[in-house]
Amino acid sequence: MTQRRFIVEPRGLASIRLSIAVPVLSVLAALVVGGIFLALTGENAIEVYGEMIDAAFGSSRAISETLITTAPLILTGLAAAVAFKMLVWNIGGEGQLLFGAIFASGVAIWLGDGTSSAIAIPVVIMASAVGGAFWASIAAIPKVYLGTNEIITTLMLNFIALNIMNYLIFGSNSPWRDPESPQFPQGRPIPESASIPEFWNRLDYGIFIAIAIALLAYFLIYKTRWGFELRIVGDSADTARYAGIGVSKKILGVFLLSGAFAGLAGGLFVAGPVGGLDPRSLDLGLGFTGIIVAALARLNPIAVIPVAFLMAALINAGPALQSIGVPSSTVTMLQGAILIFAVAGEFFIANRIRRPERTDAAPDKTEAAA
Amino acid sequence: MTKTEARLAIELRGVDKTFYGVHANENVDFQLEAGEVHALLGENGAGKSTLCSILAGLYRPDSGEMLLNGEPTVFRTPKEALAAGVGMVYQHFRLVPNLTVAENLALGHPDLGQRLNQKELHNTAAELGERYGLPVDPAARVWQLSVGQQQRVEILKLLYRDVKVLILDEPTAVLTPQEAEQLFKTMRQMASEGRSVIFVSHKLHEVKQVSDRVTVLRGGKNVGGVDTAEAEPADLARMMVGRDLVLPTREEAEGFGKAVLTVTDLMVDDARGLEAVRGISLKIRSGEVVGIAGVSGNGQRELAYGITGLRPPTGGKVELDGEDVTDMNVLAHINKGIAYVPQSRLGLGLAPGLTTEDNLALKAYRRAPYSKGVRLVASSFKEKGAEMIERYDVRGVQPGLPIRLLSGGNLQKALVGREVELEPKVLILRSPTRGLDVGATEAVRNIVLAERKRGVGVLLISEDLDELLALSDRLLVVYEGQIVGDLQTNEATAERLGLLMAGQTEAST
Repeated sequence: MTQRRFIVEPRGLASIRLSIAVPVLSVLAALVVGGIFLALTGENAIEVYGEMIDAAFGSSRAISETLITTAPLILTGLAAAVAFKMLVWNIGGEGQLLFGAIFASGVAIWLGDGTSSAIAIPVVIMASAVGGAFWASIAAIPKVYLGTNEIITTLMLNFIALNIMNYLIFGSNSPWRDPESPQFPQGRPIPESASIPEFWNRLDYGIFIAIAIALLAYFLIYKTRWGFELRIVGDSADTARYAGIGVSKKILGVFLLSGAFAGLAGGLFVAGPVGGLDPRSLDLGLGFTGIIVAALARLNPIAVIPVAFLMAALINAGPALQSIGVPSSTVTMLQGAILIFAVAGEFFIANRIRRPERTDAAPDKTEAAA
Repeated sequence: MTKTEARLAIELRGVDKTFYGVHANENVDFQLEAGEVHALLGENGAGKSTLCSILAGLYRPDSGEMLLNGEPTVFRTPKEALAAGVGMVYQHFRLVPNLTVAENLALGHPDLGQRLNQKELHNTAAELGERYGLPVDPAARVWQLSVGQQQRVEILKLLYRDVKVLILDEPTAVLTPQEAEQLFKTMRQMASEGRSVIFVSHKLHEVKQVSDRVTVLRGGKNVGGVDTAEAEPADLARMMVGRDLVLPTREEAEGFGKAVLTVTDLMVDDARGLEAVRGISLKIRSGEVVGIAGVSGNGQRELAYGITGLRPPTGGKVELDGEDVTDMNVLAHINKGIAYVPQSRLGLGLAPGLTTEDNLALKAYRRAPYSKGVRLVASSFKEKGAEMIERYDVRGVQPGLPIRLLSGGNLQKALVGREVELEPKVLILRSPTRGLDVGATEAVRNIVLAERKRGVGVLLISEDLDELLALSDRLLVVYEGQIVGDLQTNEATAERLGLLMAGQTEAST
């Protein structure tokens, strides 16, 4: 008999239950693997995890700090999600975030103190979106018209953006640099009128802006003509061309939108907790973490929200670990493990494994003559 | 081993294979004797390709067993099947285009070392080609060859490995009648040497002509095997479909309306930038079906691309209802009333990962009732979708599932239905029933004839002569990007068309 023990077959439709269960299980599996690793290095895994949970959720301050990190992560997650949905591999969220921050702080400083908040805040946030889109366009335009590989260009542009920011603060007397602090170079604080008000500890209203943009992105992709075209192009560019859709323009549009989302993350940072172009507070790798967020959320803009919250908690737990003598890079390791399990978990969402039916036990099978 | 078993090359017993919970093969028994040409008949989705793929080691059955020369055998990979002497020529060839014919023969051959003796290889290739009536230049690179020649290379590859069982999956679909004749001779010769040939086809007259025995599959089951000599084509058709069936034929038209599509001296390049359409002129009148016959790769694709705006022509003119649309983009062509059913359903005509409802709206989504401003109206997608699924009899649709899970016939009914739903002035179809079963073929042809009756000008580009003869009012033959023949359907015969398709001019007539 060629009876096989297991059969792997594709599921037609991924069930919603599974698409929630699998990411959750991936996180748990990553924690278990991380725990084993911690145990091998002589740590008490339970204690470490307890400390992490405490650091992320243990107090109203901890929760508000986690939410502060959540806001930009939602946006970098969206940046990756909309781009990946169309097979545009924008991994330049990092650089686009920084350029969003550069534009936002630049505009805020230029506006000065005299503008009312009702104008200053929206203008500063818009500026960050423009900044991110601008930085993305440097990779997007050559991709669309010359066919360059955006994985390479967006990645390299991250380093350029980082160095431009460092130059503005550390290497020059640019308007971005704080003139009050010549010994310790830092970003010039933006005027109070351009800052988003806080409402709970240090938490500002930026979190609601991020959530609103995620809902808007969902609406855009699933409920509008533009989004329908985007899904067609993402599924098959040839078919889209055949249906009369301008594929190049579409790809360019999505690329710029992706950059704008990442730029907004920088804008929320500047107009929120950071309050200026401060390299030490901006260079956190949130652009890259957004890729993990998008993957775990299976590119669904709404799922990006809870996933970003979870990743923010992980990030905020890092410094707390150092206080108990565990390297904070443990958090990076856990992030990596989660991503690996989530990607592997995709297989179980897309496929079903079952035992074959015992066909040899059915001798009464007669041929149905029509 | 008894005597009867000794004659069997391969036997399948109770083979089962399911995909997505659907039986592609269900409890199939199949016997292949040494030295016979065995035809495998069946509608699309009847399980022929699955059965062949199991024999060739590409799929493993969920249950059931295979006996090779009486011995129970399991092929885990095509490589194992080849080593055991079973090889297959797939519909989509698996050759390396940049290598020469001889190099392709050597590829993956177990007895050849790292260094190739090119000269010896060329000699062997030429010798084999001559012996089996499959002449092909061993030094030619595969991409330079016509489809028919590439098929010869595939067969030579198997013969070079001295395969005892050859499986040919719809080999005649890409051949001219003359090339098919030659292939049949080759098949008979291989059989006379004691090899077994499995010949998959839809075409009853070919089966009748070349095979010794026929096995008919329907709905994944073996519904019977007969000696070809005793089988009447009508009986075979009935076994395939499970009912009596008459393919629609065209009624003679009383007259045609004014010209809806006029193409003048059209020039279109292929993807490599080489001239593929070299000055084609044609005119289609309202209510007329103009057929384009030709071996594939003679500019048919580029002709369709040029007319629909998918590839801007490098010269000439396309006029729709008297308006010059040559330089307009694809969307303008769609809006002005050119509908197009491409040959590649999932590669071009449909978005494979989107749902059937989405695909049915793939061109009309820009207008009401699908769109309201920038917003899409989800209920319209659902209602219009259900309506079209019913009207065009698209079966197997499950809400929320991607369209690629449908069978070929249902994909095509959805695609053709969507295009005619646009109420076009001109309908362009490329090989609209290629690979379809008789039932779906009937449905598609009925739609085309209904459009003709409605006054649509139809351009039917096909490699299937039976189809062209059944549907066209006028036939043009294309060869190397030019029209080499223009005939009324009643003066066209397969013979005459075949010669024109092969580039022979009609000087002698």
